[in-house]
Amino acid sequence: MTTPPIVTLSDDQRDCYQELTNVAMGQAADRLARLLDSYVVLPIPKVNLIEISDLRMAIEGAQEEDAVSAVCQGFIGSGIAGEALMLFNDTSFTDLARLTNYPGELTHQAQLEILMDVSSLLIGACIQGIGEQLEIHFNQGHPVVLGQHCNVNDILNVSNQKWRRTLAIEIHYTMEAVNVDCDLLLLFTEDSVLRLNHVIDFLLD
Amino acid sequence: MTNPNIDLGDIHWLMDILQNIDVGLVVLDKEYNIQLWNGFMDSHSGISPQNAKGENLFTLFPDIPEAWFRKKAEPVFQLKTRTFTIWEQRPYLFHFKNYRPITGRATFMYQNTAIIPLESIDRQIHHICVIIYDVTDAALGKEEAHKLGVEINKLTRVDPETGLMTTDAWHEEISRELARVHRSEMPSCIALLDHSQLAIDADALKKAYALLARSLRQTDLACVPQSGQVAVLLPASDEGDVRFFAERIRKTIGRQIPEFRNHTRIGIARALDTFNNANEWLQAVDAACTAAANTDDHLQIHTPDS
Repeated sequence: MTTPPIVTLSDDQRDCYQELTNVAMGQAADRLARLLDSYVVLPIPKVNLIEISDLRMAIEGAQEEDAVSAVCQGFIGSGIAGEALMLFNDTSFTDLARLTNYPGELTHQAQLEILMDVSSLLIGACIQGIGEQLEIHFNQGHPVVLGQHCNVNDILNVSNQKWRRTLAIEIHYTMEAVNVDCDLLLLFTEDSVLRLNHVIDFLLD
Repeated sequence: MTNPNIDLGDIHWLMDILQNIDVGLVVLDKEYNIQLWNGFMDSHSGISPQNAKGENLFTLFPDIPEAWFRKKAEPVFQLKTRTFTIWEQRPYLFHFKNYRPITGRATFMYQNTAIIPLESIDRQIHHICVIIYDVTDAALGKEEAHKLGVEINKLTRVDPETGLMTTDAWHEEISRELARVHRSEMPSCIALLDHSQLAIDADALKKAYALLARSLRQTDLACVPQSGQVAVLLPASDEGDVRFFAERIRKTIGRQIPEFRNHTRIGIARALDTFNNANEWLQAVDAACTAAANTDDHLQIHTPDS
């Protein structure tokens, strides 16, 4: 197997990714706001080429010392594949439970439901939003819960780290007046980035 | 989305695929009435498409928790988004038998489901499709791995000499418990039983530990911090509960080793908000245990001023 060429990103391409994500994310935030009936602060997505060590730092930076729960979901369409990684700070659960109307005790089970509900919505909306703009129909795999309340290292050790450098879109969601704090990371495979860049260049022309 | 690959004449064999594909497909309208019920659903439920069509999902399957399912399906109607459920949330949506009724280990079929919006000609969502996947093998494999993990964890946490928890593991637990106490109002105590001045032979001691282990609640954790001492962490218990518990232990073990009953010193310390770390908690219980030597019943409860 030949190794794909190292991924690069021009300034124009980066701006284009950011704009694409902005639109998709706006839709996602709108859905989240409607589900939770609460104002969602629209974040600015960060588009970066990252190495595996950066991914570790990005996640660690986002979730300092607190326990993290994560959901990941693969997506693929027109030869473009990647994974969405949704990270929740465990302190978010109390408020999320209230907003999503999960009455009663915040059991492991209730947390799992919240995790699935919110991540389904955000990941789905984001991927579909990006797909619609690029005219790509993305298929989504089933979400996988990567162990609740575990350390960041445990999450990353799960994945087989075969890639070197790839495109990451990071979106940090916060909500007004409530303590909800989650990160959505869209990670594309190396070969997908080459194809994506191609599509983007077409849009830019 | 219209697919240019499909002709009207192809509908016939497309229906064949729909019927034979080994995935459950159910189309529901906004009132949750069944509009499509494929071969998979027919075979596993024993309800024919003729009988299923038009029936309400929740009337036909009263064991499906309506509120729960609506919560997953409503966003699909309203927000045109896909939602998913995984077996970890609920092992199944429809209670079907395991596909391998003879050699399979599970009695039912574990299911993942995807709920997708179906757009009508007017671009509105009047129907949704529930796709049911059989994930029994994956689920059993994962549950098995989890069980083994728990077992291994248990093995590394138990000291073979005493049959109680290893000191390291116990220290980890009290740190965690202290952090939990800081977050919640629930009291939590450590009891320290000191019998270092008694000469108890190893065999008798081992029996005593076994007796102790049997008297513990599932959440109580005991270890031997140093020879001549036994420490027990009792979550969700106040000083009164723990006093009662410790005296009972002293009595129980005292039946086997009479001198244990009258000469074992007991110190009890409750986790306080002022403790910065587990060591301060341990020092408090140590101090109480030392002070217990001067009390009539050889038992001392730590108070913040003492």
